[in-house]
Amino acid sequence: MSGRWLAGKTLAALLTLVFVIIFNFFLFRVMGDPTTQLARLPNASPEEIAKLRADYGIDKPLPAQFLDYAGDTLTLDLGISQRSREPVWEEIKDALPWTLLLVGTGTLLATLIGSWMGVVAATNRGKRSDDGLLSFSLFTYASPEYWIGIILILLFAVAIPILPAGQQVTPGVEFSSFFAEALDVAEHMILPVTAMTLMLLGQYFLIMRSSMVDVLGEDFITAKRATGMRWDRVVRRHAVPNALLPLVTLSAIQFGTVVGGAVTIETIFSWPGLGELSFNAINDKDFPVLQGTFLVFSAGVILANLLADVLYFFLDPRVQSR
Amino acid sequence: MNERSARDLLLHSWRGRFGLSMLGVFIFVAVFGSLLAPDDPDASSTDVLASPSLSHPLGTTEQGSDVLSQLLVGAQVSIVVGFAAALISALLGSIVGLAGGYYGGWTDRILDALENWFLVIPTLPLMIVLASILDPSLTVLIVVIGLTSWAGTGRIVRAQVLTLRERSFVERARALGASDTHIIRTHVLPNTLPLIFANTVLIIAVAILSEAALSFLGLGDPTRISWGTMLENAFSSGAPSAGAWWYVIPPGLCITLLVLAVSLIGFLFEEHINPRLREAT
Amino acid sequence: MSSLLEVSALRVDHGDRPIVDGVDFAVQRGEALGLAGESGCGKTTTALALMRLLPASLEQSGTMTLRPPGAEEQINLEKRTEAGMQLVRWRHISLVFQGAMNSLDPVQRIATQIDEAIRLHEARVKREDVNARIGELLTTVGLTPELRRRYPHQLSGGQRQRVMIALALACRPSLVIADEPTTALDVVMQAQVLQLLERLREELGLALILISHDLGVLAETCDRIAVMYAGRIVETGPVERVFADPQHPYTKRLLDSLPTIGGRRGLAPPIPGGPPDPGNPPRGCRFHPRCPYAADICAERDPELREVAPDHASACHFAPWSGWPEPAAGAAAGKVQA
Repeated sequence: MSGRWLAGKTLAALLTLVFVIIFNFFLFRVMGDPTTQLARLPNASPEEIAKLRADYGIDKPLPAQFLDYAGDTLTLDLGISQRSREPVWEEIKDALPWTLLLVGTGTLLATLIGSWMGVVAATNRGKRSDDGLLSFSLFTYASPEYWIGIILILLFAVAIPILPAGQQVTPGVEFSSFFAEALDVAEHMILPVTAMTLMLLGQYFLIMRSSMVDVLGEDFITAKRATGMRWDRVVRRHAVPNALLPLVTLSAIQFGTVVGGAVTIETIFSWPGLGELSFNAINDKDFPVLQGTFLVFSAGVILANLLADVLYFFLDPRVQSR
Repeated sequence: MNERSARDLLLHSWRGRFGLSMLGVFIFVAVFGSLLAPDDPDASSTDVLASPSLSHPLGTTEQGSDVLSQLLVGAQVSIVVGFAAALISALLGSIVGLAGGYYGGWTDRILDALENWFLVIPTLPLMIVLASILDPSLTVLIVVIGLTSWAGTGRIVRAQVLTLRERSFVERARALGASDTHIIRTHVLPNTLPLIFANTVLIIAVAILSEAALSFLGLGDPTRISWGTMLENAFSSGAPSAGAWWYVIPPGLCITLLVLAVSLIGFLFEEHINPRLREAT
Repeated sequence: MSSLLEVSALRVDHGDRPIVDGVDFAVQRGEALGLAGESGCGKTTTALALMRLLPASLEQSGTMTLRPPGAEEQINLEKRTEAGMQLVRWRHISLVFQGAMNSLDPVQRIATQIDEAIRLHEARVKREDVNARIGELLTTVGLTPELRRRYPHQLSGGQRQRVMIALALACRPSLVIADEPTTALDVVMQAQVLQLLERLREELGLALILISHDLGVLAETCDRIAVMYAGRIVETGPVERVFADPQHPYTKRLLDSLPTIGGRRGLAPPIPGGPPDPGNPPRGCRFHPRCPYAADICAERDPELREVAPDHASACHFAPWSGWPEPAAGAAAGKVQA
């Protein structure tokens, strides 16, 4: 029944997230407890060390420490950034919308364009258009997305300076309205979103192409032709809808790639999202921030997978009657 | 699949020939890079971010070093890390997949859950977190990439072992009293190795991209020049805004071509092993 | 009276391999023609060729002339463009595919699919009329109209088969081709589907081409029968006559393999060997390597399909056969003394 199935999937998702928290916890431990850093202070007295240990809760047994850690995490207390001294969660909260904007737009475009390319390639299998699209996808798959980003900057921000080379808004400008500011953001979004879309395009294309090829080989396609239907209608009304279904679940495999691309592309374009936050944290060795962004990234991917499963459930009539 | 058919496959398709020759070029450069380099890649000069000239065919870096020399020397890191990490990943994935698939029961359930976790978790952030707590070096890169990329191989191996386990020749062997190791060695492994091999080639491509990304983000070996660190230096010194295309394009192009070459070979193997793929492509 | 469908010299080649190698037959209005033969003999290919649904890798030649009732001119199916064929398909000829399991779009409801087929050929039809027709079609094939809202996977195999038949009738064609309509069904369902086809023929005056490897199925429903072997028709005639007095060794062996109540116990020996490779057919008569009566002439000359009795044709050098002697006696022993 659907309720039970949904509960099962959600439970699995939560368990996965729990293991991320456990992983983070042990990473935290591996780095050594903070008192070892204290030991660098030659004059720290045993009482001061003991007090510090109590503050950090290191004097408690391991399972208790873990529960503390887990409890903190779940109440969004992710520690303090070593660089800015601000709560990690605050920094993540500010950065998250920007990453969602970049990743969401990029995924949407990549899905639309990639699917369209996949249909074209599958219906022209073996011909030049198919070969061309396959080669193009192979190239975008093999090229580092940050390198593509740099080339985009070279082309459209330096050589032909029509687009901004970074950041999300033009610095130092006062905007007359929300709409004007949104337009400015949109202009700044063009290059990063292009880089992200190009990175994802190949994979969505290949998935859709393979799915279409499978569907086009099914008997019901010939059966529809037999009823006197034009080929473009057979493709549009019968092949594509059936081919889109596997796309939903298969593209869930890409979510990890999306997140990785967000890190490098935001870095290139100084886009103030979680990726840029991570990059700065790497340079600063700011571990709390790195763990925090890792947690949020993982949670995002886990959630996206769950949503994809739910979406598939609603789309495929065959699943619903199970 | 035997060695002869693999060779035929590679040599008879233009994709195979292109991939193999390109890979050969890169491996050659990786081995002889420092000999081929016209200048000392670490030597700095006052001729900063200079565009290509006779003395510097690919211009200079922000330190005045010769880009071409750095490019040639950088090949080694990509090849070494790519192949080594993929090897670790293949070993780890095969062991986990074999153990889980063959022994079943709780072993399988635990290993499968572990596998699924690594598959869901975003790889680059995971690698970043792991690499950042350690001191950067080639070994760290190899280990981190290897430890995070094995799940794909694991899943394929497990699926294959599960199918093989049901086949009669395995049951017969067991009935004859053959030990598990013997069965694995003589029946399961030979049927699984081609699959592992084809998959590992594709993992090499992923590993190369991963090393480049980690180096670009500043987690690479600071004592070695790699294409990823070249891009990192170029970016952080403002080379794109300065229009220094000679610095910025070659490293990324090399990464792309190397990954292309390895991927072409890998896809060819995969198609060969799975004829159904050949039908669909 | 001119035939509803006349097929002449139909060939389908895959490069240099003939799959259908010169086939002639005719179907009259309201007549049921059975197309019999082993799998791989070209029956389904012939059906697809009639609808011009063959993949581009196959070349088709020969004439196929359709004269639907009420049409002023005949339709030369082989000459039609794809757009022209789209007007003919389903409106004049429809096809019930082999394995109806997979002939419906899995993510569309039954009603939607029948509706679509009707609207393809009657663009201006009103919604109420279409809905009424869908209900009628489902009732005609023995299904409850409520099934219209279901998805294909929610129906049983037999129900899906009937839906395919209902769909095939949606545009009121004059000819329906049914490719192995009973193969995937159990005996009870088989009987039901055959009865249904028979009833439809009577009520709607439908002409039928029934394709099956099962001679028993054909015996019940068909008026005439054409036996195919290796891409050729080797015997054709009224079904009772062919069954009572087969004029080709292949037909004889096919009939022998049918179990009969009260007849000999045990299975008849299977026909030795297998169907020939289309790329390398035997010289002379295609069947001669497997024929118990083969003589020298059979390996040299390819027999033509000729009339050996009124309305009864056979492609065998030694037809007409007046009886079937023991093979050792040789073909000559069976030949009618001229």
